[in-house]
Amino acid sequence: MKSNRRFHLLWVFVVAGLALVPFVTSGTYITGVMCFVAFYATLACGMALLLHQAGLFSLAHPTFFGLGAYTAGILAARDLLPPWAGIIAAALVVAIVAYVIGAPLLRLSGYYLACATFGLLFIVEITLGQLGPITGGHDGLMDIPPLSFFGFTLQGDFHYYYVAWGLCLGCLWFFSNIMNSRIGRAIKAQHDSETAASCVGINVPRCKLHVFVLTAVTASMAGSLYCFYLEFAAPSMFGFPLLVELFTIVVIGGAATLYGPILGSIALMSIREAIHVHLKGVLPKMTAEVDAVFFGVLIVAILIFMPEGLVGTLDRLAHAGRRFLGKST
Amino acid sequence: MDLLSQTIQYAVSGVTGGSIYAVIGICWSLVYLITRVLNFATGEFVMLGGMLTWAFSSMGFGILPSAFLAVACTVAISMLLERLVIRPIRLPTEMTYMMITIASASVIKGLVLLQWGSESRRIEPFFGTGVIHILGAGVTPQVICVVVLMALITFGLHLFLNHTLLGTALRASAVNLTGARLIGIDIGRFRLFCFGLAGGLGAITGIVTAPITFTGYEIGLLTGLKGLVAAIAGGWSMAGTVVAGLALGLLEGFGAGFIASGLKDVFALVVMILFLIVRTITIPGIKRRT
Amino acid sequence: MANQPDSVQINVQGLSRSFAGIRALSLVSFSVKRGTIMSLIGPNGAGKSTLINVITGVHAPNSGRIHFDGEDIAGLSAHVIASKGIARTFQLEELFGSMTVLENAMTGCYGRSKSGVIASGFRFPSTRREEERVRKEGMDGLAMVGLDAKATEPISRLPLGERKLVGIARALCMKPSFLMLDEPAGGLAAHEVNRLVDLIHVLLGQGLTILLVEHNMPFVMSLSEKIIVLDAGVKIAEGSPDEVRNNERVVKAYLGEE
Repeated sequence: MKSNRRFHLLWVFVVAGLALVPFVTSGTYITGVMCFVAFYATLACGMALLLHQAGLFSLAHPTFFGLGAYTAGILAARDLLPPWAGIIAAALVVAIVAYVIGAPLLRLSGYYLACATFGLLFIVEITLGQLGPITGGHDGLMDIPPLSFFGFTLQGDFHYYYVAWGLCLGCLWFFSNIMNSRIGRAIKAQHDSETAASCVGINVPRCKLHVFVLTAVTASMAGSLYCFYLEFAAPSMFGFPLLVELFTIVVIGGAATLYGPILGSIALMSIREAIHVHLKGVLPKMTAEVDAVFFGVLIVAILIFMPEGLVGTLDRLAHAGRRFLGKST
Repeated sequence: MDLLSQTIQYAVSGVTGGSIYAVIGICWSLVYLITRVLNFATGEFVMLGGMLTWAFSSMGFGILPSAFLAVACTVAISMLLERLVIRPIRLPTEMTYMMITIASASVIKGLVLLQWGSESRRIEPFFGTGVIHILGAGVTPQVICVVVLMALITFGLHLFLNHTLLGTALRASAVNLTGARLIGIDIGRFRLFCFGLAGGLGAITGIVTAPITFTGYEIGLLTGLKGLVAAIAGGWSMAGTVVAGLALGLLEGFGAGFIASGLKDVFALVVMILFLIVRTITIPGIKRRT
Repeated sequence: MANQPDSVQINVQGLSRSFAGIRALSLVSFSVKRGTIMSLIGPNGAGKSTLINVITGVHAPNSGRIHFDGEDIAGLSAHVIASKGIARTFQLEELFGSMTVLENAMTGCYGRSKSGVIASGFRFPSTRREEERVRKEGMDGLAMVGLDAKATEPISRLPLGERKLVGIARALCMKPSFLMLDEPAGGLAAHEVNRLVDLIHVLLGQGLTILLVEHNMPFVMSLSEKIIVLDAGVKIAEGSPDEVRNNERVVKAYLGEE
């Protein structure tokens, strides 16, 4: 129980530290970057849970993120629902989509789920571009109002920073509770041995569906918030480049920890900012697809040289170091 | 245009597309059956074929030398991908393969974008720009060239796999990798060979279609994915892939013609998802009473 | 009726299953009385593990019936069958390698706990109470096999013999009425086998019905009241240890045809 208290203390420090960041960085673009970190981290935590803990290769995470953004954005831009209700409505829509896709496909082996969700990624991206009257087409969805709760309207990076990180840490807390519960044990069990899991009474298809829908819903909520933050959404924001970015985060974060994706997101955004600042003159256009070259190389390098991920490798080195110093318990 | 000639026109473009998807599907299954890697960079080979040919010809090479160089380069890139990226993986899981090939695809795509920009590129048709009219529908020599070439490739592969020692050994390895290793087949070289072959075939399809559909850095993923649909729907067999590819092409041709041309790329992917969903119902052993 | 001490716990009738045209089980019938132990022996590839897989729903049977407590369970999904009170261990462990010993045991309690995704995610008070209960039951299960001291070890650090015991603890945490042990003594040292024998006696004393699949003949002979013998998917003998030992077909199956 002692380690438990230390763990809680760590959480308090992390949350307090994050809460102070906007004051330290106020007026600089770093607050805005940290907002992006929060959105990416929320998304990637769900994806890491799917890929690493549950062993489900779903590539549709950018899609659920995008559907969340578009559903909430359209509802709010057309004055059909207030923004906060749009977030809930979007989560419901995405949950239904994820359920309908997942229920049959999660029974197939890994590769097929990957193929189907990869297909979904393109279907949604193309369709969003084609439904001009509703979605604004390729030019994107304009006129999205900022997020407001009961008369209070969020303005600027400062406000969104707290909401985005609130969502991110909330999701992380939720996921870590899940993983330390019977549901989490079932998720890990079906990944380790489907046969043994079903023989102890775990309904394996339903268990997979739970994770799939759950992570889709968190992705959707992050997406809704993202579109209110940017007051804009375009189909190309939720396509292949985002998938590669998420892979980068998940690969850097590794399989060992639930918080790895947060560090991964910080790393990703730092790399991206570094590229944009230092290589601006060298590279002609800084599109997401150019970034993807660097991220792609990074993914390949990490998967080959550090299969546990950057965070996992550092974690192991730290452990080894501690044992070497004789402080291990 | 009346309905008949319209139908024929769509059918022609369907068969053209379908024959391409069939060959790309064969590229996927060649690699998948020998290495268990779903190579998401397959479509990039198609893109590379077209773009490299364009690049070489704009450097002043003739069309044939350019095409030859492009195929050679793509084969080399594909083999390097196997040697430098796929083989060194220490934890070879499906997930790692998938991530690493998707990452490679994004690297290839991004580098082409950096080098040659985002404009669509076009190669001049090989046999002029004349149009042959059949019942009111126009068919260009290039279309005929594509279909014939794809048929020849498929037939050649069929002969190779069934009537040569190497082909037979490949088929044997696809069925039973451990067994093949036990009787002394060098799987490592087979893997390399299959990647090279897939790269070469992909590049050829990319080259011959470039005069019809244009080419550009971003065409790889979707084109590749449609080949994957053909391979999956065809059950990874060659005959199945050809049939599925043609069916897919026709569906796409008619769908784009009669329903909505903007959704052309969506039809194939929807079919893939529906096909996979139907498969879950028909797989023996999954169905149970509740 | 179902709870009468002398009644039949499980009754298997004409069970068949083929894989790719090869008959792994062919018209196998037997029954086990409540609170007794029956052993299943046979040469390698006789279909012993297949039989367990079919009874537990891992594979659906091609034909035949399995009555458990009077209810036909043939062809139900594995998790449904598990919820009826049938537990098993595996020949090749099949433990949850990413978890600790205790978590493996706690996973056995899955069917008897019910916190859903929402309740678990928000850690409702009911979930915390249930989690405490499950943790205690997991420790109890480990205590039964004598592994409570290793509760926090990851599975990968345990030697083979102890892994088999974790599998048994996981099965016991399901609080089953019928337990199938698939070669529990395989790879165990002599003193570990003795401990296993003691454990099985304790379980029988608690009223559990056991089906034992085993290669270790002295172990089987000392424990069983009744033995059935499978060869090439067919039941070739059934009876007391002495009857089976002297059965001509059994001897032939084990030593091969002359």
